[in-house]
Amino acid sequence: ETLNNGHQLSSLPLQMLFYVNGIYYLFYFLATLAMIVYKSQVFSYPDDFLAPDLTLLFIMAILEVLRLYLGSKGNLTEEEGPLGLSLAISVGSVILSVYFLVWQTYVLKADVIINAVLLLTYGLESVLKVIAIAAFVS
Amino acid sequence: VAKLCVCDLLVAQCDVNCCCDPDCNAADFSLFTTCSVPIVTGDSHLCSQKAAIYSLDVEANPPERIFKLIDQVNPSLFCIHATNYEQALSFRSPEMPTSENFDQLLKRFSSAAFSAEPDSWNRNTDAQNPPDANETYRYEYGVPIQTVDAFLRLPSPVVSSWCSDANPAGFLVNQATKCTRSVNVEKCGDVQAVSMLFYINSSILAKWHEFVFQVNITVQSITFQSLNGTQTLLNGSDVLRLPVILDELCVNVVFGVSYHVTYTGAGEIIEAAASFVLGAINKEAFSIQQSFQISFTQVNTKPVPLSGNPGYVVGLPVRAGFRPQGYPFPGEILFAALNSNKYSQLTILQSASNQDCLAAQGARAPILFGYNMMSGCKLRITAATKCQPLTQTLLDLLKGQSFPEYVASFGNSQAQDVLDWVPITHLHTSEQRISNAFQSSCQIPVSLEIEVKWTKYGSLVNPQARIVNVTASITTTPLKQLPPGRERIIPVTSSVVFTDISSPAEPGYKAWPTINVKLPFDFFFPFV
Repeated sequence: ETLNNGHQLSSLPLQMLFYVNGIYYLFYFLATLAMIVYKSQVFSYPDDFLAPDLTLLFIMAILEVLRLYLGSKGNLTEEEGPLGLSLAISVGSVILSVYFLVWQTYVLKADVIINAVLLLTYGLESVLKVIAIAAFVS
Repeated sequence: VAKLCVCDLLVAQCDVNCCCDPDCNAADFSLFTTCSVPIVTGDSHLCSQKAAIYSLDVEANPPERIFKLIDQVNPSLFCIHATNYEQALSFRSPEMPTSENFDQLLKRFSSAAFSAEPDSWNRNTDAQNPPDANETYRYEYGVPIQTVDAFLRLPSPVVSSWCSDANPAGFLVNQATKCTRSVNVEKCGDVQAVSMLFYINSSILAKWHEFVFQVNITVQSITFQSLNGTQTLLNGSDVLRLPVILDELCVNVVFGVSYHVTYTGAGEIIEAAASFVLGAINKEAFSIQQSFQISFTQVNTKPVPLSGNPGYVVGLPVRAGFRPQGYPFPGEILFAALNSNKYSQLTILQSASNQDCLAAQGARAPILFGYNMMSGCKLRITAATKCQPLTQTLLDLLKGQSFPEYVASFGNSQAQDVLDWVPITHLHTSEQRISNAFQSSCQIPVSLEIEVKWTKYGSLVNPQARIVNVTASITTTPLKQLPPGRERIIPVTSSVVFTDISSPAEPGYKAWPTINVKLPFDFFFPFV
C-alpha cells in the first residue's frame, strides 16, 4: 500500500541529492574561502587576481542557493518549470566549478579534489533532474 | 633544472667543489671533497617537479660525481597543482625579523652587497684565501715601483734639504724633487749617488711581486751642463759615463735624472728610460743640487700633460691648439700637438726688466688658468717708423708667433673631441674718438686683452672649471705722424682676465610638512 496511491512523481533520490549537495556546498564554500585566504598569505596574490576569484566564489554561492531552492521546490511540487530553471542555473554552476578547477590563479591539490566531487554531484543531479522533468511532463 | 648551477661563477673555468659546473671534467671532479650544491630544484610548493641531485661517490677511486634527475613529489594536500599567473612563484616573501633571527639577518643584509649563504661562504673562502693574495700581480696607483733589490728610488729632501735615498717612486705618481747632495772632489768616484750607475743599476720588476719579468732602465739621453750653466745634448748616449777626475775637476757628475716609465692599462711596466744631466764640479764645491723627476706614459699614447681632470686646475696652463690645414671637414678636426709643443700654447707677452718691447721679443709666459696677468712694455717710435711694419711687429709682440685658434674647455680635452674645444673670438676696437674718423691713416694695435669666461660644471660638492668663452680684443690707436727728429714712447699692454660666469645658486624651499596618517599594520586583526 503506497502512501499516495503510487502517483508520486517527485524523485526521492533527487531530493536526497539536493540535501547532500546543500551540506557539501557549505563545506565547499568555506573550504575554498579559507584556501584563498591561505594562498594570499603564503604566495604572492596581487589584487587584480584576488578580486575575480572572490567575486566568482560569491556569485557561485548565490547561484547555488537559487538553484537548490528552485530544484527542491520544482521537485516537490512536481512542476517542470522551476526544475528546468534549476537545470539552466546548473550549467552556470558547472562553468564556475570548472573555473575553480582549471582557471583559478592557484589551483591546489585540495582544490582539484573538492571541485571534482562537486562536478560529480552536479552531473548526477542533472541526470536525475532530466529524468524527473521527463516524468513530470508526460 | 639540469642546466641551472648556482655555484658556477667562473666563466669557462671549473669552480671548486661545484658538482653542477659544466666546465669541469672527470679529472676535476676527482679532486673535489664535497658538493657545495647537492640539489637543484624548482619551487618546493609545486606538487610535482624535477630535481637534479649531485653527489660525490668517495668510495670509488678516483672519486666521481653522480648526477640524477628525479621527480620530486610534494605529498601535502596544499601543494600547487597549477597556476594561471606567470609570476606566481617568482617573488619570495621576505622573512619577518624576530628576536631570534635578527642577528643573522643583520649580518646578511646590512652591508652593501647581500651575502647569499653566510655560513657556507666562510668555510669556502678560508680555503681560497692564500691563493687570492697572490692573484694581484699588477701595480696600482701609489704602490712603490719594485726593482730587483728594493724599489726605484727618487731621492728627495726629507727633513732638511739633504737628499734621502729612501723615497720610493710611486706608480703613476708624477713627481719632481730637488735636493742637496754633499760631494767631495777627491773621492769623486766613491760617492755612489753622483754616478750614473746608481740610477740605472737594478732592473724594475714588470709586475708587482713577480721576479720573472724585469725591465732594464735604458739611458735615453745625456745632457752636459758646463760650469757656467750652458747645457748641450750629447749624441750617441748609450755609453755609461762614470765620474772621473779630469784637470782637477770631477766630471760626469749626475746633476739630474728624469725617468720616463711606460705602462700598460693592466698595471704592468713595459719600458723605463732615464735621461741624465751630467756636469762637472770643482774643488771648492762641497755640495751640489740634484733634481729628479719621474713621469708615466701609457703605452701607445702620446704624453700630453693635462691641465686638470676634467676641470682646469688653478695654476696649470690653458691648453690650446689649431685646426691644421687640409682638414676642411668639420667632423674630423684634429688638433696640433698641444702643450708638448711650446709654440702652440696660449701665451702672453712677458714683461722684461728693461721694458723695451723690441728688445724683449720672444719672451712669453704661458697663461695659467685662474691667474689674471697683465704685462706690458714701452715702444719707442720715431718719425721714420713706417705704419705697416710697425703694425705687424706689434701684432707679433702681442699675440706671439703662433696664436692658437681653439682653447680646450676641459683640462683633459682630447684632440679628437671637436666639441670640447672653444674657438677664440677676436674683437677689434679702436681707441680713436668718432670725430677723428677720417683723419687717422694708420691704426696700430696697442693692447691685447684676453678674457676667459669659465663656469663651474658638475656636482655642487666638487665643481669642475670649464672654459666657456675666450675673447681676444685688440685695441688700436691712430698713429700720428711725428715731426722729424721727435720720438714718442707708447705703452703696449696685454692682459688676461678670468671671469667666473657660473650661474648663481637658486634658492630651494623645503616642502610643506604633510599629515602622515596611516592605519596600523594589524588594524583588521581578526580577519587578516
